[in-house]
Amino acid sequence: MSKTIYTMWKRCEEQYSDLPAVRWLVKKDVQERSYGELAAAVTAIKKGFAAQSFAHKHIALIGTASAEWIEAYMAVVTSNNAAVPMDSGLPAEDIIDLVYRSDSEGVFLDEKFASLAEKIKANCPLVRKIWMLSGDSVEGTETVANLINAGEGYDEPEQPEEDDVSMIVYTSGTTGKSKGVMLTQCNLYSNIEAVLYEEGPGLVFLSVLPVHHAFCLTMDWLNGFWMGSVLCINDNLRHMIRNIGIYNPDVMLMVPLMLETIYKRLKSFGNDVPPEALAQKVFGPKLKRIFTGGAHLDPYYIEEFEKYGIKVYEGYGMSECSPVITNNREGACKPGSIGRALSNAEIKFENGEILVRGTSVMKGYYNMEKETEETLKDGWLHTGDKGYIDEDGFIFINGRVKNLIILSNGENISPEEIEGKLALNDLIDEIIVTGEDNLLTARIYPEQELVKNMSEDEIAAALQKILDGYNKSQPTYKQLSRLVVRKNPFFKNASRKIIRTEVLRDEPI
Amino acid sequence: MEIEKKFKEVAERYCSVKADEITNDMKLRDDLGLSSLDLMTLLGDLEDEFDIEFEFSEDDNKLAGIVTVEDAINLFKEYADAE
Repeated sequence: MSKTIYTMWKRCEEQYSDLPAVRWLVKKDVQERSYGELAAAVTAIKKGFAAQSFAHKHIALIGTASAEWIEAYMAVVTSNNAAVPMDSGLPAEDIIDLVYRSDSEGVFLDEKFASLAEKIKANCPLVRKIWMLSGDSVEGTETVANLINAGEGYDEPEQPEEDDVSMIVYTSGTTGKSKGVMLTQCNLYSNIEAVLYEEGPGLVFLSVLPVHHAFCLTMDWLNGFWMGSVLCINDNLRHMIRNIGIYNPDVMLMVPLMLETIYKRLKSFGNDVPPEALAQKVFGPKLKRIFTGGAHLDPYYIEEFEKYGIKVYEGYGMSECSPVITNNREGACKPGSIGRALSNAEIKFENGEILVRGTSVMKGYYNMEKETEETLKDGWLHTGDKGYIDEDGFIFINGRVKNLIILSNGENISPEEIEGKLALNDLIDEIIVTGEDNLLTARIYPEQELVKNMSEDEIAAALQKILDGYNKSQPTYKQLSRLVVRKNPFFKNASRKIIRTEVLRDEPI
Repeated sequence: MEIEKKFKEVAERYCSVKADEITNDMKLRDDLGLSSLDLMTLLGDLEDEFDIEFEFSEDDNKLAGIVTVEDAINLFKEYADAE
């Protein structure tokens, strides 16, 4: 049997038809859809693709997690089309740019982002159809119900091949332009296969990560479906702790930032409450396993959570590897490490950098040959992370080769991308963005000619105004929280490039 | 006043500063050490305490301008009043 998401989904349809697949909240009421119901909707959408000639096309999804989003996503990845999940928190112009650059011909759009429809139509000539995932259609769009109606009487489209691109995930690029990671059907299938653990159907997952991330899509959704689990949608990050109490999950995937917040909440109850009682209150009766990734977790939290009966397993990966490369797991766990390599991943080191080869390594970056060649050499993916392996095969990360800033929410920030945007401002002569304490800092050397008659406070206020304007258009994780006004230019190398390792030198105190 | 008092009581859950030592001009990140998710979660706790629901999502621009304790209290008041 071929290793495709299509065949995986066919198995789910046959084995789990009557079991619950998805739960979500409407106000405070839990709604549910079974595997059978979900599969019927997925098939109906695929017939719509057949009717509207969507075969081997790219289809973007814009919205936050919802049952409708997941139905549309599963329809795309189990057909021979490729899904392009978008970060709906990005500024409108960035979303449009990605729809354009991904050559998407269809777009699934959540009604919250309906205002994008007109801009997509105006700027992305390849887009033939925009289907509203929820609500009524707006000018130039149709609803998913229209798509399903169009498909009546059609057969399911041809099934995908293992090497077909199933998903293009956009990820921060060090050149300032985000890159579309092409993952094939087999890439995703083999990543799930390699992380599976012994569990029967009915395991409850609470999915709290952004749905456009490879970590969330592969490890919560596809992995959960494979096992016949129930996937619960967290309606809003504000309600994560409340929703643990509502859904009573067995398993959760988190980024370190989430563990840090939950830990603070646990500690706020003081030391008088016994850990068992507190665990029951905060984690519910069933939560025993938390998988974490996206950024490094201080092993202190692993020990602390264990006191409440929770095992935290840290893993490591990147979108380019579908995404998991290594993980800690039951019976093979070493706090502080990122675990051992998955069975389908081969690892070696080159000048300290971690290189990966295997069936989950991407096909390449979409329409970016140069970047692909720089990252994939002879089948080896250059991760950009430095690390080492211990005598037991556990891998530890100890630095980065590239300039990406990794925040504890797992977001990768390209400083060059932000610097490029802000450097356009006349008042900014030189700018470097750095990350400390999980926050981004803009270090700016102002244009001396323009500030020569201004006081220090006036300069800081003028620069802060520029940052405020930038922040307003950005999702929280890309906002600049701090400003340092430099009195001297940055140190540069012989080719006049700023030396990033020395940006703190000679700063005002 | 009740909102302000409650806000500080709930904020205490996520920072090491005691509720009665929190002043309105303190910065949520630099002075109280709250992460963006701490702030979100504390707003969620307040929703439960006051039995209201904010309409904005986690990516909302409204959160961009929230720097001080006072900013957060004002945001909360805006919704509490609307309810």
